[in-house]
Amino acid sequence: MYPRLQILIFVLCSMLFWGCRGDEIIYPTLGTHVTDDVRQGGLYVLCEGNMGSNKARLDYMNLESGTYYSNWYGSQNPKQVKELGDVGNDIQQYGNRLYAVINCSHKVEVMDLKSRHIGQIDIPNCRYMAFKDDKMYVSAYVGSVANPELLGAVYEVDTASLTITREVKVGHQPDELCIVDDQLFVCNSGGYLTNQYDSTLSVIDLATFTEIQKVTVGLNPTRVRVDNQKHLWVCCQGNYADAKPIVQILDHTTVLKRIYVPCSNISIQGTTAYIIDNEFNTLRAFSTIDFTEQSITIDITNYEHPYGLLATADALYITDAKNYVSSGVLHCYSYDGRERWSAITGDIPGHLCRVTQAYELYSDTSEITPQQSQYISKVYEYVPATGQFVNELPKYETGDDEASMCRKCEQAIANNAGGLVSLGGWGGYITFGFDHSVENKEGRDIQILGNAFYMSGSTEYGSSEPGIVLVSRDENGNGLPDDKWYELKGCLYDDPQTKHNVSITYTRAGDTIHNPFHQHLYYPQWIKANELTFSGSMLPSQSVTINGQNVQRILDYGYVDNKPNNDIEGTSFDISWAVDTDGKPVNLPIVDFVRVYNAVQSTTEQTGEISTEIAGAKDLHKNN
Amino acid sequence: MTKRIYCILFIALCAGSAFALSDAELDSLYNQFQISEVEVTARALTKDVIVPQTLKGAELQRLNALSVADALRYFSGVQLKDYGGVGGIKTINVRSMGSQHTAVYYNGVQLGNAQNGQVDLGRFSLDNMEEIQLYNGQKSDIFQSAREFGAAGNVYLTTRKPYFKAGERAHVRAQMRFGSFALANPNVGVDVKLTDGLSLTMDAEYVYSDGKYPFRYRRVLPNGETAYDTTAIRQNGDVNAVRTELGLHHYYRTTGFWRVHAYNYWSERGVPGAIVNNVWRNGERLWDRNTFVQVQWQDEWFDRWSTRVLAKYANDYTHYLNYDERLLPSNNEYLQQEAYLSFANKVQVFNWWDVSLAYDYQYNTLARENLLLQAAPEHFYRHSHWLSAATAFNIKEYLRMQASVLMTAVDDNTPRVTPGMFVSLRPYPAIDLSINAFYKQSYRYPTFNDLYYTDLGNANLRPELARQHSVEIAYRKAEKTYEINASASYYYNRVTDKIIAYPKGQQFRWTMLNLGTVKINGVDAKADASVYLPLRFVLRTRLNYTFQKAIDVTNENDTYYGHQIPYIPKHSGSVVVSLDWESKRGDHYGLNYSFIYVGERYCQQENTIYNYVQPWYTHDLSLYGEWGVPASKKNDRLVWLKANLEINNLLGQDYEVIQNYPMPKQNVRCTLACRY
Repeated sequence: MYPRLQILIFVLCSMLFWGCRGDEIIYPTLGTHVTDDVRQGGLYVLCEGNMGSNKARLDYMNLESGTYYSNWYGSQNPKQVKELGDVGNDIQQYGNRLYAVINCSHKVEVMDLKSRHIGQIDIPNCRYMAFKDDKMYVSAYVGSVANPELLGAVYEVDTASLTITREVKVGHQPDELCIVDDQLFVCNSGGYLTNQYDSTLSVIDLATFTEIQKVTVGLNPTRVRVDNQKHLWVCCQGNYADAKPIVQILDHTTVLKRIYVPCSNISIQGTTAYIIDNEFNTLRAFSTIDFTEQSITIDITNYEHPYGLLATADALYITDAKNYVSSGVLHCYSYDGRERWSAITGDIPGHLCRVTQAYELYSDTSEITPQQSQYISKVYEYVPATGQFVNELPKYETGDDEASMCRKCEQAIANNAGGLVSLGGWGGYITFGFDHSVENKEGRDIQILGNAFYMSGSTEYGSSEPGIVLVSRDENGNGLPDDKWYELKGCLYDDPQTKHNVSITYTRAGDTIHNPFHQHLYYPQWIKANELTFSGSMLPSQSVTINGQNVQRILDYGYVDNKPNNDIEGTSFDISWAVDTDGKPVNLPIVDFVRVYNAVQSTTEQTGEISTEIAGAKDLHKNN
Repeated sequence: MTKRIYCILFIALCAGSAFALSDAELDSLYNQFQISEVEVTARALTKDVIVPQTLKGAELQRLNALSVADALRYFSGVQLKDYGGVGGIKTINVRSMGSQHTAVYYNGVQLGNAQNGQVDLGRFSLDNMEEIQLYNGQKSDIFQSAREFGAAGNVYLTTRKPYFKAGERAHVRAQMRFGSFALANPNVGVDVKLTDGLSLTMDAEYVYSDGKYPFRYRRVLPNGETAYDTTAIRQNGDVNAVRTELGLHHYYRTTGFWRVHAYNYWSERGVPGAIVNNVWRNGERLWDRNTFVQVQWQDEWFDRWSTRVLAKYANDYTHYLNYDERLLPSNNEYLQQEAYLSFANKVQVFNWWDVSLAYDYQYNTLARENLLLQAAPEHFYRHSHWLSAATAFNIKEYLRMQASVLMTAVDDNTPRVTPGMFVSLRPYPAIDLSINAFYKQSYRYPTFNDLYYTDLGNANLRPELARQHSVEIAYRKAEKTYEINASASYYYNRVTDKIIAYPKGQQFRWTMLNLGTVKINGVDAKADASVYLPLRFVLRTRLNYTFQKAIDVTNENDTYYGHQIPYIPKHSGSVVVSLDWESKRGDHYGLNYSFIYVGERYCQQENTIYNYVQPWYTHDLSLYGEWGVPASKKNDRLVWLKANLEINNLLGQDYEVIQNYPMPKQNVRCTLACRY
């Protein structure tokens, strides 16, 4: 019946499977060898991408291998939802971190120097950054509270906690900013107000974080840089009509010199300021000593739209943004005018950042996220206070030193070994870490095992030897736990009986009282010093005697070796509990190091001194 | 008796030419069929040389389509730009020439938008629509207004016309539609026969949707591991719209008629914006009011001379407000006005030769006000004149030809002349096989936005020029048990002086320049078939396939030279299959399945993996029935009840038509209607 119909139906059915869509793939970076003329370190290229396209792209040029990697950030962080974001606007290195302003994603992306995501700071319509001490300053077109005058703001961000600490209102559409001594200078461009451009620099006192002065410069200032004489170079764009662009050089607030040059970008290296003259598509150079123009042989007149600029000690990098809606080109020049190499970038390569290290891309994406163990992998420090199990758990042998004792601790408790380490008396501590940073996610993040147990028939009393947990991030990136510590606030933190900032010194000579079960020395024998001083918080003793048994009241939450290990929640900790030394909550997106110290000073008749024991720890967000 | 034969003949002719009549002729047909007592003469010359793509009546109702935009997806050669949801903007691009080269006509008069040149087809409801037609090139009927010769692609929307059986004086329709994302869409309509020749139609519709649909972004690593998988709800996509229409039709003598049509549309909507990293919600709001009144009058003199006059006044208001506190606030108002007058004449010189002459004039104004800065409003004006001359002749059934020239003068710009030439050859009159070809030039004039966009406009812009060359082979066969229409066309288009935004010398400031050149080679193939099965079942299918190679050939030094232009897939197509059962009386029940496929595309000029956009395809199903019940014991006139259940995107594909604008996953709509 109806053979033609059958054929038709068959064709229709087969069409269902035609041209099927695959998974949407995050493509790994593409490395292109562009030069054999190598230099030290690497160069990050932040490509802006057009608004709404979500195509901000961070590329990386390995200057030591001469390889240009497109979409480097995407490969390093494939799990970032919707990638790097919309419109990259600034990139800078500060300390051991890389910071990128993603304008239309309203955030500052914080990365390590390999551009691996650490965290982000949400700032509306953020534009540019400046740094001083442990603070970052970010200009933004809007303040946190919408204001009818459409004024912008500068936000102060604590680089340790990645939180906004202060905010100051400035002029219209603040763009670049820079710091001279204790003052911050911000360009108020007024760029969104056609025919009503702003023409001021806001001067902000960093101590009080208030605007102390407005300095009038040319119309529509967008860039401000500081040279080696502490002079400010302010690039004003004019109004694209009768008011011509100008570069003004200021000593603090006094104008030293006006240079009538259209300057779309500027980079200062040594005593020379390099300027892109976007009217004639030329690169020009001016002395920062006497402001005279110097001759330069780098020719960029064949560029479609010169855009990004970075002058370094050994090379000059200039980008051509082409028509702004397609790939740009990054050019590298020697100062003698020779073009050394060029590479094709993403859309609108606007911002360049040289880093001293060269990184190679992992050959396989599976290595991007290497198998990370849920268990701790390393013990960094083990300093118990005088106690009955010290030199026993783990066993001290003649010749052991601090490093070998750490290895013994690792053998006992790392990688789910199942052993036990004693922290001795009050204050004794251990510091350990994982093969990765632990993320602060919803709910509890880290479980730390001990040897607590309930007395039979009770969940209120038992053996509880509470230890306090401290966490830290590898802020300086050296891989060592020498950074700021934050206490995870337990249930007794605010208890009036809890003593904060206690300090106790134990001496070798004082190691005299030994109970009948433990007749060995209690002072850690591998410690060379004859005395050990610990400091921290001391919890009130919870010891009681019930039915002739010395037991402790079990605490609600927040302490190690307080509840039995099978109570996962009771033995787990939330990084969100972190507080600073003033007790203020701190937002830590990740932590790298965990320290536990014995928080009580108490001895019972039957069990000797209360001493926290650690049996291991794990990252609750991993399952390997 | 002769009357009846003539009528039947006329209808057969109509059907034979596959819906080839213009709305005016349809009007007079209905008129004569139902009301008039006078004889009708069929005039072959008024027919289109090239048959347009058409969706009408029951077929239109069967499709899973809410708006005109949804229905246009089933035409070949058409690419729909859809920003998602009921409220998202939907525009079409015919044969890759750009959406501003497509003109949309509402009951014969062009819908204007002098500000941005685009008509949001998502705003036009199908409930009131009788017919949608797409003409490539131009409507190849020479009796038309001058401006109709001007666009490269033309979409004609024709609203429902009153149709009274003997003894009927009024019709009432009421309909309620509801569906996913809080869709509520009531619609009422009344048609009243005032006198034998004069009738009144009224139609009102309300649409609400909260636009809160879930969407999902899932990305995987090349090794198959999930990189991320996240689901969110679209925010700020709500829409509230009211449409009211009033039409007055009057037919007099055998030849004349006039019609007044008033249209009002009001809406408030959120603009949900692009989903980018860290931004899952945007705060823009948009209010629109579109009002127009159009008058059409047509008559015929001395049996040979036809005259048509069109007049229109439109008043469109837009208010754009940006609430988003992360962005600079903006609060802008736009008021556009348009006055339009057209005078067209056609003379039949001989039975085989017609000539026509038409003149159109249009005046546009735009007032733009920034309420935030409280600056004085800016005003822009434009005068446009069109003058067309056209001729058509036949050599028996073998050959039909039309040629036209259009002179366009916009403000003080040099007047431009564009020709058009249409030929249809039917070598074997016994077989319904025709070979059609056309060549046409058309200009797309810069819009007010192009010319005067804040600080970036360029008053020296020239119009874009599109040149189209097209050949088509069409075949039709109708037997007792089946009916087939099939056609395939090849076309070559070239768009030069394309207006594109380009950064100016100064830092990152855009301006509009006549910079682009695009070369388009395409093939459209379409076929539809109806098979009349036993037991009053009918199987209908409709197939469309489009191949387009639309490449940028602006400058050999560009990195994207020779690359496919953004958002144009090489392959796209659709399949519609429906199975209906129809009773003698007209009750019918059926199931309709449609499949739409849009192949891989690139979202920017450069065809790189970073700009690659995956293909998408959706399966839609609808189940419907319409049955009559007697109005009362005394009155045997039937009340028709209709129910329709649609499931769209059956497999819940997560797709985007425009990058970063996610489309709804699976969703349903249910329509209940009655008419009397």
